Amino acid sequence: MDVKYVNPFLEAFTSVMPQLGFQNVNKTNVSVEKQEIKKAGVVIIVGIVGAIKGNVVYCIDLEGAKNVASTMMMGMPINEFDEMAQSALSELANMLTANAATIFFGQGIHIDISTPAVLFGDDITIKMSSSQVLCIRLTADQIPIEINIAFEH
Amino acid sequence: MSAIRIVIVDDSSFSIAFIRNILEEHGFEVVGEAGTLEEVKEVISATRPDLVTMDMTLPGTDGLECTRAIHSIDKNIKVIVISSMMDDEIVKQAKENKVSGYIQKPVDEDELITAIGRVMASDELYLSLKTEYFAAFKESLMDGMNKMTKTLLTYKKEYHFETEQESEGLTIIIGIIGRFSGRMLIDLSTETARKLAAAILRKEPKDTNEIIAILGEFTNIISGNACSVLNKKNKAYGLRVAPPTTLYGEKVRISAPRYATTIALAETVYGEILLNAGFQRGEDNWM
Repeated sequence: MDVKYVNPFLEAFTSVMPQLGFQNVNKTNVSVEKQEIKKAGVVIIVGIVGAIKGNVVYCIDLEGAKNVASTMMMGMPINEFDEMAQSALSELANMLTANAATIFFGQGIHIDISTPAVLFGDDITIKMSSSQVLCIRLTADQIPIEINIAFEH
Repeated sequence: MSAIRIVIVDDSSFSIAFIRNILEEHGFEVVGEAGTLEEVKEVISATRPDLVTMDMTLPGTDGLECTRAIHSIDKNIKVIVISSMMDDEIVKQAKENKVSGYIQKPVDEDELITAIGRVMASDELYLSLKTEYFAAFKESLMDGMNKMTKTLLTYKKEYHFETEQESEGLTIIIGIIGRFSGRMLIDLSTETARKLAAAILRKEPKDTNEIIAILGEFTNIISGNACSVLNKKNKAYGLRVAPPTTLYGEKVRISAPRYATTIALAETVYGEILLNAGFQRGEDNWM
């Protein structure tokens, strides 16, 4: 899978996160992963069709997810990963992917995105929709967030 | 369809007459007019129109306050702002106040008629999708089961997905994209998944990977067929499906989406299958 698909997601992350109140946004690394990913925490899946077809899966551990939701809600304390926090994370995935879609559009690549599906648990195995997965690891105010991209050709 | 009923909010009698003329010439029914917040509340309560054209600058109030007042009476009433002022900030505020369209004065006849058509059509299109989508998904699952395993299923329960729930073991998610976006999800126990995969394959699957691959393709076919049926009913839906993502694990919880989706529980010879699908009304793309 082409690494050029990484940049719109990086750009989206660095432009959207500060707008939501995160001060420090960093890229840790990008790697090629296998189709199967094991995770603990929150997993948000967004489908993509158009010039590219596939899925983007955001992964974040439960504590991180609560902290992200709290920052998005102006510092409101979040003790449980409740409906409100789930909704915030769903909205985050939607904003990041929609923003990336706009950047793709600017490059002549027209894609549309589905609504996000949010799942969470201590032991989740994700089978991605393509055999190769690009994993972008980032942090927002030290909270690690992973963007896994599975695109078909 | 009966004529779309419209209220005009403006403080200039010239503008009201001008807009009324355009609307009536195109077969819309102008059922009232208002120029102040009090008049807006009164006229909207009395007439309950389908749509309101809204000026932004009004004596003692503004178009956004009046829009909020309208939506507190009936949130289904569509508001299209017609104003001489138009900049990014005010458009953003209009969107935040659930305005469905924004037109700059002087009013261009075609632009106004197109905007009304789009706002009303989108509403009707969503309503028609909402009334017919779930039957298509249920039918497609039933048909898919029958064709791929030669067995029948019965739906024993149907309800709205309102609070998070625990996965039975394996969840397959398909994003749906079109005029309205949504998703379909199938959830079943690993045992049911194994039996179903074996029935489709006509032999015991060799490992979890094979089960997941078969179930992914099964779900893909179900969602694809359902969307084709819906697209045939109305090509304006333009539904397309993303490839399946499969999740499994211990005590995985599925979050209830922020929009209305429906769940049906199907009893099959292999065990219970949960089918969930829904579409988001979404924002009107009016800029």
